[in-house]
Order: sequence, then structure tokens, then C-alpha cells
Amino acid sequence: MAEPELLLDSNIRLWVVLPIVFITFLVGVIRHYVSILLQSDKKLTLEQVSDSQILIRSRILRENGKYIPKQSFLMRKFYFNNQEDGFFKNTKRKVVPPSPMTDPSMLTDMMKGNVTNVLPMILIGGWINWTFSGFVTTKVPFPLTLRFKPMLQQGIELLSLDASWVSSASWYFLNVFGLRSMYSLILGQDNGADQSRIMQEQMSGAAMAMPADTNKAFKAEWEALELTDHQWALENIEEELMSRELDLDGMFSKELPTGIF
Amino acid sequence: MASVSEMYDVTWEEMRDKLRKWREDNHRNSEQIVDVGEELINEHASKLGDDIWIIYEQVMIAALDCSRDDLAWTCLQELKKQFPGSQRVKRLAGMRLEALEKYEDASKQYDSILQDDPTNTAARKRKISILKAQGKSAEAIRELNEYLEQFVGDQEAWHELSELYINEHDYGKAAFCLEELMMTNPHNHLYCEQYAEVKYTQGGLENLELSRKYFAQALKLNNGNMRALFGLYMSASHIAASPKVNATVKKANVKYAAWATNQINRAYQVSHARYLL
Repeated sequence: MAEPELLLDSNIRLWVVLPIVFITFLVGVIRHYVSILLQSDKKLTLEQVSDSQILIRSRILRENGKYIPKQSFLMRKFYFNNQEDGFFKNTKRKVVPPSPMTDPSMLTDMMKGNVTNVLPMILIGGWINWTFSGFVTTKVPFPLTLRFKPMLQQGIELLSLDASWVSSASWYFLNVFGLRSMYSLILGQDNGADQSRIMQEQMSGAAMAMPADTNKAFKAEWEALELTDHQWALENIEEELMSRELDLDGMFSKELPTGIF
Repeated sequence: MASVSEMYDVTWEEMRDKLRKWREDNHRNSEQIVDVGEELINEHASKLGDDIWIIYEQVMIAALDCSRDDLAWTCLQELKKQFPGSQRVKRLAGMRLEALEKYEDASKQYDSILQDDPTNTAARKRKISILKAQGKSAEAIRELNEYLEQFVGDQEAWHELSELYINEHDYGKAAFCLEELMMTNPHNHLYCEQYAEVKYTQGGLENLELSRKYFAQALKLNNGNMRALFGLYMSASHIAASPKVNATVKKANVKYAAWATNQINRAYQVSHARYLL
């Protein structure tokens, strides 16, 4: 129902809104440095490096094969895809799918991720809820349904209060996600304080860096390479080149560089 | 002897930026780097902050090129103090041993790096360059082939291998290496031109046609590549002069050669006009 606008005490702005922003930001920065300290080195084996480069080479062959003569392209395609001893046909890598439970290094990584990210969020969220409770902090600019009231107005027992008015805990959570771009600005890309990115990573974590994929990747490359044809880019190069005069501007300049500077 | 900053009237910031530009462009002007870098290190070390470590590395390699072992030793000591146990520093120590021609010790140094980290490409490549320095080109070629089997994407290595093969006159294999480079860098006119030259050297009608096409490609990528223009003229006229071609091919190649001649004349006119101005 429509109601007169609430006028909030300006002290709320000074002592609640701004401190929460600062707290969230500082906690984020601290999280970033802690994650750097706790980072473990990822050692790649020779085979993994080699495989990834081979996949890149095959992909380049598919994409840029049209710049080399047909014979050379067929030679390389044969090397990869030949029925008897082609590389993709024959190479089977031993695959140990690293499930989080059995692989100790991934387990510790997960634990570290949880400790650095989720735990502080819960702790500080709870602390803020306890400290800054009993009053509304801010109003979200769009209307919300009554369903949101228990979630966003924790600690305020007013049935008639518009759901757009939220408590400090929700302001805290808003900050956590909103300051993400600030972190990129200040800490550079790929920083450890970027929580939502980490949560996304955890969700797609199984898809990342899976050695089991090598065999599948090889199979996919084999199929893709089978389908590629060689369209030589240099078929009519002379005609294309000689259709116009060469552009010789700027070839000979009077300024010769003398000395170092 | 006047210092660099006095001779050119530049500040230390400009010297540092110049060193960075050389580093990024991968220039090998070692004497200049030694001159500028030595002064920067001796006079302005405190102002450089953390930049100084990469400058030490850059100056050290340049000093090895100029036989300045004193300067190289200083740089190495500073780096060792700051980064003990670093593999990058160990590789620099190995390079110094190479410069002093102590190949056995250098090889041992690189082996110790590889024991810790088998994927370290820098150490493996240095071992191959030791073989090349000792003149054992057959072994160097073999080692480089093995290296490339595992690290297929290393373009520097492919180029080095093509050079080794050219020196051994094995043009077929050199062409293979250059094809790899052309695929990964389709817009680099220099690789096309080098490939065309190798094909031209191999000889035979088919290779001459290929070389003509790749000279044309190099020209298309860079209209100012005079070498490719001359190459186009020579390959076209060679094909035209060959007794085995039929009339149409001969006519086409004569046309190509004529066009190339025109362009060469134009280029000379342009350059002449420039110098007269």
C-alpha cells in the first residue's frame, strides 16, 4: 500500500552505511592477500604440457592449413589421423579422474577456498546483523513483494513496512557483490577477493583442468581434422597481387636513426 | 670517457624506458645495452626500485655478448643474493659458463635445473645451443628434434631448427620447419619469404612454382619487401626460361616477370627521388 516516505536519521548514513562499505572492502582486500599466501604451486607434468601444445598445433593446422602447400597439409593430417599409426588414433593417456575425495591436493585446495571465502562472509554477515540490528538501513530503488520481507528485514518486526526497506545485513551482501568491480580496478584482474567468480569456479570446477579430458580432446580433434579440407589461399595469388601497383609509400625515409636516443 | 647521459643529454628515466623498449622488442644491440645499462646500474640503482632486477638480467646477457665478464659477474652476484635458489638465475649462471667456454660445467648446471623441473624449456634450449657452439650440428639437430617432439609450440625452436637444416643443406626439412612457422604466423611476410627462398634453392619446376607463389604472398603481406620482389622476378624468369614448360605457363611467367621488373623500376625511382629531395 502506498505510504508516506520514511525519513531516516542521517546518523544511519554516517555510522552504518559507510562503515559497512569500508568493512566489506577491507575484508575483500585482506582476503585477496591471504589467498595469495595460501596459494599452492600447480606443477604440470611434461606430458600435460606436451599434450596441450599438440592440441594447439592440430587446431592451428585446421585453421591456418590453407597457407601451406597442399602436400604439406596432407602430410600433417596423415600424421595425426592415419588409421594405423596416427597420433590421435593411437595415443591413449592413462586417465585418473581426480575426484575431490581421493585427490589430496584438490581436497586441500577446496578447503583453502572455503576457508578464505565462505567463512569470513558468514562470520562478518552474522556480526553485522548482530551489531547493526533493529533499524532499516536503506531502500532498494525498486518495489519488492512481501515474500522478501523476512529475508531482507531481519530483526525488524513491522508488518506494515514496505519490503523495499532493507536491513544492514542485506546492505552488506549487496556490497559483497557490488564491490567486485572495485576490486578489479584496484587489485588488478584475477584477484583473490572476487567471490562470485570463485563461486562460479566451484560450480564449474569439475570442468576445469581435467586430465581425463585429454583422451576426449584427442578424439574431438581427430574428428575435426577429418572434416577439414585444404583450400589453398595462394591459388590465385599472382592475379590478386598484380591487379594493382605496389604501394611503395614510406619505404625509403630520409631519417636514419643515429645513436641510441 | 663521457657517460651516455652526458653524450645524449637524457635523464635516467629515459634510459630506463629505452632499456624496457629494447627488452620488449627483443633487440640484441648488446654494446648499447651495456653502455646504457652499466651507467644506470652504477649511478641510479636506488631510484630504479624493483625494475633493477630485470635490468640486471638484461645487462648481464648483453655483457656476456661483449665479453664483459666483470660486469656479468657483478650482475650475477646481485641476482644470486636477491633470488637464491631461483632457476632463472641458475640459467644465467650457466650462460656465463658457456660464455667462458666451460661447456662441461654449464651442461652440469643445466642438468641440475632439469632435475628439479623437467618442464623447464630454457635449460633444454641452452643445452642445445652448447652443442651448436661446439660445432656438433648433427647432435644439435637430433636434440632439437627431440625437444620439439615434446614442445611442438615453441616457435623460436622451429626457427632455429630451420636454420640448422639450411646450414646442413637439408632444404626439405628446413621447408617443413618454416611451414610450421607460416601456419602459426600467417601474417608474417618474412617467414613466407624465407620459405620461398628455401624452395627456390631446392630447385625443380614444382618448387620454383611454389617459391614464386610464396614470394607473391610475402609481397601481398608487405608491399615493400624488395627481396621478395626480386625473388618473384627471378623465380618467374627461371620458370619461363626452363625448357620443360608449355607455352601458356611460359607466357604467364613472362608476364609476371615483366610486372616485377616494372615494380622494381618504380621502387628505384621512388628511392632516387627521395634522395634527391
